[in-house]
Amino acid sequence: MPAFKVFPATRVVATPEAINTANWPKDSLVLPLALDEVLVLEKINSEFLDDPHSIIVSDTGFTGAWISADVGLEFLERCCEWELPQKRPAFAQGAVADIPVKLWFEEDRILFLTPGPYAIALENRMK
Amino acid sequence: MNIKNISRQFTYDGKAIQFKEGDSVLVAFQRSGIHPTGGGCLCLAGDCPHCIATIDGISYVRTCQVLARKGMLIESHPPDGAPLMSRDDWQEPGVIARNIYCDVVVIGMGKSGQNAASEFAHTDKKIVTLDAQAGQEVVGIYPGPLVVARTEDGMLHVHPREEIIVASGAAEIHPVVPGNHLAGILTARAALKLAAAGVKMNHIVAIGTQPEGLDAERVVGELIRFEGNERVEAIVVINENGIENRIKCDTVSIGLGLYPRDTLVRMGHDMAVRAVGAAAREADIPPCPKAGTVCHCANVTVEDLESVRDLGFYELELLKRGTLAGTGTCQGGICLPYIRSFLADKGEKLQPPFTARPVNRQLTIGEMAAGSYHHTTPRTSLDAEHRQLGARMERFGGWWRPWNYGNILEEYWAVRQAVSLCDVSTLGKMLVSGPDALELLERLYPTKVSTIKPGRSRYALLLDERGYVLDDGMICRDEETRFNLTFTSGGSTFCELWVRDWAEFWGLDVRLLNQTMSLGAINVTGPLSKKLLGRAGLDDPPNFLHHKTVMVAGVECRIFRLSFTGETSFELHHATSDSVSLWRSLLKLGSDLGIKPHGIETLLTLRLEKGHIIVGQDTDFDSTPRRINHNWAVKLEKPEFIGKQSILRTNKIPLNRQLVGFEQDGSPPNEGAVIWKKNEYAGYVTSSGFSHVINKSVMLGWLEFFNNELPKEVIIDGRPAYRVSTPFYDPEGARARI
Repeated sequence: MPAFKVFPATRVVATPEAINTANWPKDSLVLPLALDEVLVLEKINSEFLDDPHSIIVSDTGFTGAWISADVGLEFLERCCEWELPQKRPAFAQGAVADIPVKLWFEEDRILFLTPGPYAIALENRMK
Repeated sequence: MNIKNISRQFTYDGKAIQFKEGDSVLVAFQRSGIHPTGGGCLCLAGDCPHCIATIDGISYVRTCQVLARKGMLIESHPPDGAPLMSRDDWQEPGVIARNIYCDVVVIGMGKSGQNAASEFAHTDKKIVTLDAQAGQEVVGIYPGPLVVARTEDGMLHVHPREEIIVASGAAEIHPVVPGNHLAGILTARAALKLAAAGVKMNHIVAIGTQPEGLDAERVVGELIRFEGNERVEAIVVINENGIENRIKCDTVSIGLGLYPRDTLVRMGHDMAVRAVGAAAREADIPPCPKAGTVCHCANVTVEDLESVRDLGFYELELLKRGTLAGTGTCQGGICLPYIRSFLADKGEKLQPPFTARPVNRQLTIGEMAAGSYHHTTPRTSLDAEHRQLGARMERFGGWWRPWNYGNILEEYWAVRQAVSLCDVSTLGKMLVSGPDALELLERLYPTKVSTIKPGRSRYALLLDERGYVLDDGMICRDEETRFNLTFTSGGSTFCELWVRDWAEFWGLDVRLLNQTMSLGAINVTGPLSKKLLGRAGLDDPPNFLHHKTVMVAGVECRIFRLSFTGETSFELHHATSDSVSLWRSLLKLGSDLGIKPHGIETLLTLRLEKGHIIVGQDTDFDSTPRRINHNWAVKLEKPEFIGKQSILRTNKIPLNRQLVGFEQDGSPPNEGAVIWKKNEYAGYVTSSGFSHVINKSVMLGWLEFFNNELPKEVIIDGRPAYRVSTPFYDPEGARARI
C-alpha cells in the first residue's frame, strides 16, 4: 500500500453555471464535490472562472494515494456500503470504513483522498 | 483403534466421537447415540434449537448444519443458562464483510429458488443467489435493502436494487405434548435422513404424514404424549373413539405438517421481498396444544401461555412479549404455529405470525461487527507534535486534542506571564462570499454585521428560531462581500449545515466553503506574544479584533487578534501543510521567553477566569442570550434575525434562572455539583476550576431566582460560595488589548 501524501489542490466554490463553463487547465484533475464546488488537484487562479464572487483557495487539507485498481476495489468491496460507479473515469465520495473519502476511478488505478485529520485512520484501515 | 478411524474423529465434551465421510456433526452424534441438548425433537434442517452446541469456541452452532471434521472441539451447552464466552475471543482476527450489488437476490437454491433465478436468465439483470446448503446462510434482511449472509470466509452484505426472492422452503411442525423434551423424537424428514445415513434407530414408530421409504410402524390417532426416561420408550395416542393406545418404541418419526420458513419474508415486510415455492405456502396449523413445552428456547409451557393470556394478553405480539416465546434460539421456528393455534382456539381469530427482526441466527460479535468501524476521531496536523511533547491526548469537541503536557501550572503561568501556544485547528472555519453574503449573515446573527468593517472581527452568538443559543464564534469581515466565520470545534459541522440550509431556503446568492479540515490554527497568547511574533517577522501585528494576512516565520497566515484566554492573543490560520513548521519555529523562537504549549485543561481554566462560556457545557438546550447574560450580543433594533421574535416574547417573561459566576475558597467542586440556598435546590455548576491569579475556586453555574432575586450566598459542595460578577480576572479586558 503506497504511503499517503498531501495532494496540493485548489478548492473552488462558484455558481453552478460558472463551474460548468469553466475552462479548467488542460490535464488537471477536477473533482466535482458539489454542484457549486470542485477540487482541482493543482494550483489555479480565478482566470478560469466567470464568477466575481467565487471562492478560490489553495488547499493542502487532502491526503491520499493512488492505489492499483485491484487492491483498491478489494478494499472498497469490504469497506464501502454504497454502490461504486462502474464507468471509468468516475468520481465518487462518501463514507468508506466510516471515514469521509473522495475517490477518483481510472481503468487501472484509484485515487483515495481524505481530509488530513482522517488520514492516519484511513491508512490504518487500508492496511 | 485403527488409523482410518482416528482420521475421522472429533472431540465432544472430552470424548472421542467418530464420524463417516459426509456426516454432519449431528448425524455423527446420532451414530453414537448422543443427543447434543439431551432431548427434544430433531429436524436436521436447522429449524429447531435442539442440536446446538459449541464448536471450536463458537456457541449456538446448529450441529445439523455443520459437516463433521477431524479434530473439531465440541462442547455441549450447559443445561441451564448460556454458554460462557471464550476469554480468547478478542484475539481472533476480525470477520470480513464483502459488499455485493445486484438487481435481484434469490435466497435458497432448491427447486423453487432455481426456478425463480431462471426467470432472469435471459435478462441483463444481475442475480445473486444465496444458498445455505452451499455455505451462504442468510441471517437477516435490513432496510436498504441489505441481505446479510454468513459464509465460512466472512459475511456477505448483498444490496439488491429491485427484489429479494425468498425460496427457503418449509419447516416441519414439531410436536407439543408432554414428553416432547425426550431424546429419540425426530421429524419425518429427519428420520428419513438418518435412515439414509445408516444411523441405527431400532424400532421406529411413525405418526402423521410420512415420507416414502422409512421403515417404521405406522400409528394412527392423535398424539397425546411421549413416555420415557431421558429417551422415548413409548408414545400414547388416542383414537377417534377416545381410546388411548400405548405403543412401545425406540424412535418416533413425527409428520404434523409444514410451516413456511418465512422469517426472512416477515423481516422484509415493507421491502420488495417475494416468497416462492414452499416458503409461500399456507401454514398448516396444528391442533391447539393442551400440555407440554411450546417454546424450548425460552422454556415456555402451555400452562405459561394460559396464565399470561389470562392477564389480558390476547394479541400474538403481546403473548410473545409476555412469555418470551419465540424470542430465543430458533426465533419461533417451533412455537409460532402453536401460539397461533392456541390463540385461535381461545376464540381469537387466527392471527398473522409475529414480527421478525434480524438476525434469525446466533452470530458471533465479530460477525455482527463485520463491515462496521469504530467512529473515527480526527487529528489535527499537529497531533504528532503534541504526542512527541508528551501530551496526554483526549477526545474533546469531537477531536483528539492535547489535554495537558504534563505540568498544567507551567502551562498556565506561561500564558499569564510569558507566552504560550495552543493548537486551535479544530475551530470551525467557514468562508462566505457573494452579493448576498452580508444579507445572509444579518439574518443569521443577532449582531449588526453591517457595522463590522473589512479587516475587523466581532464575537457573535448564533441562535435558533426559538432564540436559544446554538453556537458562538467570530465574524471576521475580509471585504464588503466576503466573510470568515468561526464556530466552536464541536459545533462546526452543525453550523455549516445551518448556514447552508438557511442560505438555500432564502435563495440568497452566496458561496460557502467549510475550511475546518483544511486550515490549521495556532493561538499565540500571553503578554510576550507580540515579542514572539516580532521575532517571527511580524513587526506590525493587528490591533484587538482586527485581522489581516501576514507572513509569520515564513508561513502565510491569516492572523486574527482576539482573546479567549484573557491575554494578548493572535490566532494564526494557515495551510495545514505548514502547521508543523510554524509550530516548531514559534517554540524555538520563544524558547528564552518561557514559551510552553498549553492544553485544553489549562485553556478551560483560562477562559473560565474570563467568564467565557462554552456552548453546550455552560449553556442548556433552552439558553437564551438573556439567561446567559449576553444581552449585549443581541441587537433587537435590527430589522430581523433568526430568533428575534422569540426573544421579544421571552423577554417579557420574568427570568427564573441565569448563568452567573461564583467564587469559593478551597478546591473547586465538581462540574455538575448542586447549588443550594440553605436547604433549597438553587441550580448547578457548569464549569469550575481553581484560579491561580485570584487564589480561589471560580465557577459558572445556573442559579434560580428566589422572589425575583438571585441569592448572593449559596452552598456548593457543602461550603459557602458567593455570586460575583464576571469576568473574574481582568474585568476591564485591558490585558487582551495590550
